[in-house]
Amino acid sequence: MSLFHIVIYGSLLIFIVAILARAARIMRMPLHLRWELQPVPHERPGASTFERVDWWTHSRDRSRFGELSIMIPEILLLKGVWEHNRGLWFASWTLHFGLYLLIGAMVVILLHAVLLVAGVLADAFVPVVLAAVTRPLAIAGGALGTVGAIAMLIRRITEPGMRRYATAGHFVNLAHLGAIYVTALLWALLDGGFVAETATLYAGVLTAAPLPSLPLIGYLNVAIVLLFFIYLPFTHMTHFFTKYFTYHMVRWEDTPNTAGGRLEEKIRRNVSQPVSWAAAHVGANGKKTWLDLVADTGEVKRETEEA
Amino acid sequence: MPGANGKQQPRSVRDIGRRSERLAHVAVEELMPLPAPYDVSEDFPGIAPLKDETRARYGASATLDDTLAAGIPQPATEEDERKIVEAFLSGLRKLFSRENNWTFLQPLVLSMEHCARCQTCAADCPVFEASGRNELYRPTFRAEVLRRLYFRHVKPGGAWYNTFHSSGLELTYDLVARLFELAYRCTLCRRCAQSCPIGVDNGLITHDLRKLFSQELGWAPKELHNKGTVQQLTLGSSTGMNKLVVKDNIEFIDEDMSERLGWEVKTPWDVQGADMLVIENAGEFLAWPENHGCTAAILNGAGLSWTMSSEIAGYDGVNYGLFYDDVQLARVATRHFRIAKQLGVKKIVMGECGHEHKALGVIADRVGLDLVPRESLLTLVRDIVYSGAINVDPSRNDFPVTLHDPCNIVRNMGIVQPQRDVLRKICPQFREMTPHGIRNYCCGGGSGFAIMSPNNFEQWRNLISSRKKFAQILGAFADTELNDPEQKKYVCAPCSNCKGAIRDMLDFYGAKEKSGIYYGGLVELVVNAMAGAAEPILDWEMM
Repeated sequence: MSLFHIVIYGSLLIFIVAILARAARIMRMPLHLRWELQPVPHERPGASTFERVDWWTHSRDRSRFGELSIMIPEILLLKGVWEHNRGLWFASWTLHFGLYLLIGAMVVILLHAVLLVAGVLADAFVPVVLAAVTRPLAIAGGALGTVGAIAMLIRRITEPGMRRYATAGHFVNLAHLGAIYVTALLWALLDGGFVAETATLYAGVLTAAPLPSLPLIGYLNVAIVLLFFIYLPFTHMTHFFTKYFTYHMVRWEDTPNTAGGRLEEKIRRNVSQPVSWAAAHVGANGKKTWLDLVADTGEVKRETEEA
Repeated sequence: MPGANGKQQPRSVRDIGRRSERLAHVAVEELMPLPAPYDVSEDFPGIAPLKDETRARYGASATLDDTLAAGIPQPATEEDERKIVEAFLSGLRKLFSRENNWTFLQPLVLSMEHCARCQTCAADCPVFEASGRNELYRPTFRAEVLRRLYFRHVKPGGAWYNTFHSSGLELTYDLVARLFELAYRCTLCRRCAQSCPIGVDNGLITHDLRKLFSQELGWAPKELHNKGTVQQLTLGSSTGMNKLVVKDNIEFIDEDMSERLGWEVKTPWDVQGADMLVIENAGEFLAWPENHGCTAAILNGAGLSWTMSSEIAGYDGVNYGLFYDDVQLARVATRHFRIAKQLGVKKIVMGECGHEHKALGVIADRVGLDLVPRESLLTLVRDIVYSGAINVDPSRNDFPVTLHDPCNIVRNMGIVQPQRDVLRKICPQFREMTPHGIRNYCCGGGSGFAIMSPNNFEQWRNLISSRKKFAQILGAFADTELNDPEQKKYVCAPCSNCKGAIRDMLDFYGAKEKSGIYYGGLVELVVNAMAGAAEPILDWEMM
């Protein structure tokens, strides 16, 4: 196993562990009070649960299709940005869709590599098809992403609202993404061996077999991508997966608290915790639980009397 | 601070912590324009300057934007300032702890750590737009202040790395004092949250900022705390009415309503085993008594088994804790549940009060165990009207009617159709505002603003936070003669706080005198349409 192998495995490991840790941290946070926000798409279209008399006696309609009808246009077309911030849409969509295409290219290369490892001949139908789509995908992704990174950089600098709230991290993120796009584009465009090299590279990573030699632009691209894997889990760019939580665990989370229901134990745990807020009216002392504090209004009464 | 285009606005987030005479100022000519006859800025002078003694007393918290909604007296010494900063820091850490903020920790952290600062939310904020896009009111401004403090003082990861991703911000007393005041420049309407592609919620951030100040420092507007939840929990109602007074008032309302309708309207009290406990906003009993009278007339007319409670907090559905303090929210809600349990009712019916709907109907769902089902009066009224249990004659409501959607009922709960179904049946000239339903605009009185009017805050509300709604109301009646006060027009606002804000805005702009625009609730329109009533419930002269 070469140093190159170790660097690749190490980067991937950091990425996976950091992402899982972040996801676990969010998921392990206590059940929060309900804070849903319309539209909640798993409800009957155009009809909220609360629009029925005695709503708790009816079974809850849940439509996965409703959720998908919101999620797919949002993920693929950035529908929200289109509707609410049209001026940003082109930069944002090209930046994101370029990445989707590059990820698509990586998936195709991975499939190609799996077939190679499995001993499927390179001139068989499926490998030929995969090889044929790899380069166009990478070129399209690299080109679109490059345009997006430049457009977003211009937008960040020229739009007063975005400029005012931009941090050093925003510009580094954009430069980093831009470098990935540009190097991927140049590698796929200029190197005739791009498809074979990438498939062999992935196969080598899968089997710990010797890795192929790459052109300088190839090494550069791989290095920048690996650095991105290490860096990304520690930035706001993790919204690519935390968006699942903001939607499914906050905006669309409307499970009612019913007697004997699945939320009871979590709620019991929450309200049994000691509270230490310092304001007099709260009446906390670090030992009294939430339940103790809200059960009566003794502290509020005392505060009123003192006033 | 002078910014771009000569506007007085912060140039950067850091300005909030830098001592200056004021951080921002909105001149009348910078405000979002209104259509004629409300387009003459000379008719509406700007926000009156704060008095010198107020400025002197409130110091840094009076240097935000020439307005003072809550304010905190200036500490006497630098040592006192330092203690406040330390207390704030302590509260900040508690805000991100599992024990102290289990109520909203997860959504708060998600909103803190994943904002792309794309500003997609900005265009959807009615306060930001109405102010002429003053930077101070951009929904991300106060969120960014809290975010930078979180990254610097709470989030693990090292100061350098966190500053790299969130820039720096020096924590000063001026920042704390101004941030408290700034937490009361957002109506928590959550329109910005709807437009965020990532799901970041600036409304929640503002809500939790208010909590930090209340639950750690004991800072909250007196209308929400001392006169609000404290009075409700100790005396019985935020209006100050105890049970004797409220029963007396309701008796009077019943008698008046009986007289006007020509049949008996009677409110039942403390009926053990009734089907439903009706809890309305007690402010209605004083400000809009006919609202309760009409509710009672409808429920009686439909022959339903219902009761009100004379227990402390049992006759007042408001829960201002929703706006500033989770503990107070839970105390009020727990009291409501306990009363319903003691009466043995099958459900609680929430009257025409938006924040009662949100607080009791949704948020309180997880503050404890052994709850009682809650239902909206709007839904119930829709079923009553369509069941034929009461006879309605739409020709009695043959005047232009538009509907204001209270954010808490619509955007936060999705109750959109029932009130429309009713209006379509009983109001031949019903027309929608644009936009409406879940994309409505706030009345400008949300999050407690409707009951807050210290110093010059009411002017700020009417000129800025209610401006977009006023423009919408005018737009809804654009096909009528806006210069004709004799042509009566009705804004249906099924929420007490919204009615308060709309009342004030119509008064402020002289809309009744200039355009004949009136306002009221939904049940008033229903009863006004009831066949056989001795006299109309809507008395334009008295409205």
